[in-house]
Amino acid sequence: MTSLVSARNVSKNYGDLRAVDDVSFDIEKGCITGLIGPNGAGKTTLLKALLGLTDCQGSLLVLGLDPFRQRKELMQNICFIADVAILPRWIRVYQLLDFVEAVHSHFSREKAEALLANTKIPAKAKVRELSKGMVTQLHLSIITAIDAKLLILDEPTLGLDIIFRKDFYSNLLSDYFDEERTIIITTHQVEEIENLLTNIMFINNGRIVLDASMDALPEQYVELLASGENAERARKLNPIFERDVFGKKVLTFEGISREQLTGLGELRTPDIADLFVAKIKGVTA
Amino acid sequence: MQGQLALLQRELWEHRSIYIVPIVVAVVMTLAALTGQVSINGMEHVDIGIVGASNMPDNARAAVLSGIMIGLSTTFVFSMWILTIFYALDSLYAERKDRSILFWRSMPSTDLETVLSKLLTAMLVIPLVTFAMILVTHLAVLLFASVWVAARGGSGLTLIWGSVPFFDNWTATLIFVLALPLWLSPFIGWFLFVSAFTKRSPFLTAFLPIAILPMLENMLFDTAVFAEAFFVRSIKMPLFINPGTMERLFEEGDGFALLADAQLSLLGLMDLGGFLTNPGLWLGLIVCGLFTAAAIYMRRYRDDS
Repeated sequence: MTSLVSARNVSKNYGDLRAVDDVSFDIEKGCITGLIGPNGAGKTTLLKALLGLTDCQGSLLVLGLDPFRQRKELMQNICFIADVAILPRWIRVYQLLDFVEAVHSHFSREKAEALLANTKIPAKAKVRELSKGMVTQLHLSIITAIDAKLLILDEPTLGLDIIFRKDFYSNLLSDYFDEERTIIITTHQVEEIENLLTNIMFINNGRIVLDASMDALPEQYVELLASGENAERARKLNPIFERDVFGKKVLTFEGISREQLTGLGELRTPDIADLFVAKIKGVTA
Repeated sequence: MQGQLALLQRELWEHRSIYIVPIVVAVVMTLAALTGQVSINGMEHVDIGIVGASNMPDNARAAVLSGIMIGLSTTFVFSMWILTIFYALDSLYAERKDRSILFWRSMPSTDLETVLSKLLTAMLVIPLVTFAMILVTHLAVLLFASVWVAARGGSGLTLIWGSVPFFDNWTATLIFVLALPLWLSPFIGWFLFVSAFTKRSPFLTAFLPIAILPMLENMLFDTAVFAEAFFVRSIKMPLFINPGTMERLFEEGDGFALLADAQLSLLGLMDLGGFLTNPGLWLGLIVCGLFTAAAIYMRRYRDDS
């Protein structure tokens, strides 16, 4: 079976800046992949390439299509939410539904209206009259009503309060996601999506530094809480990152079995945020 | 097709001035006509009552009525061109400024379709909306005139409605409002292109070269190719049989003589075949096509991040 997204040696330069540097990866159907990276790591550029908004070198296939050259066909099956500013502010809710209905063959107006009925968004309101949270709700309702195969979310909950953020992700899972659909998501609020993800990719300086399924993480990565002599001994096993917590050392290991560390201290699987810091800072340090 | 209609619909939603401006002009012109403030050449400030005077010869009355209709249409044509300039300059700039371009490009419409919808709006939708409002204004003003005549015991039906060659006047007006953007299409193409590439102030970016190029050329080469090209394009649309017809129509006294000579037929003054086979028209359309292609290219390849 072929992958939903298949990237081989994809690069993108802006002048001298190499925003995406020779990356290769696959994304399978039914996965929720978190694309995590520091600011300027190349996340947005990579998403733009996937969406056909920018050209790139290398071979990139999304749903078997060349995103840049077959953008119209691709957009029948891809949806995209960037941080909420992108819905036109002058448009009215019903106009938005009219437009999407006319151009999108996979859009169900009934479904969108049913979803909107559960919100406080009036059909005649202009986008500029809605709160930031409502705009995101509106956008998500429309996208949920499009029977698309791939959804790309770029910082979708930026600037929203905690209630809206929680609702956004629970609606995403309950209304949008099923095994036929695939999601790629970038965010800085990693903790909030950690439990959602099936796969994770870290990107730094345009390169992919981690590409793994969430299930595989405990086998590959382990964190050791140790102090004193134990910490010294553990350090000889080449941790990828080390930090201090309440006077103790936390050492992150990659590819070291838990047996090797037994007896040196408390072992646990690092959470995504810690692993992210370890991978990014560890590599650059 | 349905997609193109939706894109055109979007232009009307986003740029409500496309119909608000002609409506405002219609209201203002109707009120002006009612208060006798419509000045037509050959007669300062024509009171609509004059045309109802029963001692006026029929052909003179018809000439005055035609003159009023032409005067009203002319005002609409000026406002239409100003509207077209602002529309074209905003059409590909606003969506980049408010970043909604990311939403529009996440929809299954190509950049070609989107830019074409904007060109079509400038070339066809704006003229047709303007034409509709010209008709409404003509009807409103003539209706008022006939009521005025009837109130004084005359027959509005014969004195007003019977004396104007409506079909001729309106057909000629329609041809004119559709021909003007065709003739000025290189400007429209240029405005779309500027709107697609400029980072700020589309208006200045568009008009500085138009002002500076002829000056530079004059200083450096002492020639006036650009000045001539811009001037001929702006003033001399080759739609009429005689090159001077447009100017003459608006000259005092002369306009009525011209109308009378043509037996009030505006169509009789026009040479549509000559216009459509004018090399200048086609050259202009090619320039417009090149600028439009450049605008499509910009929308497709530009990456604002």
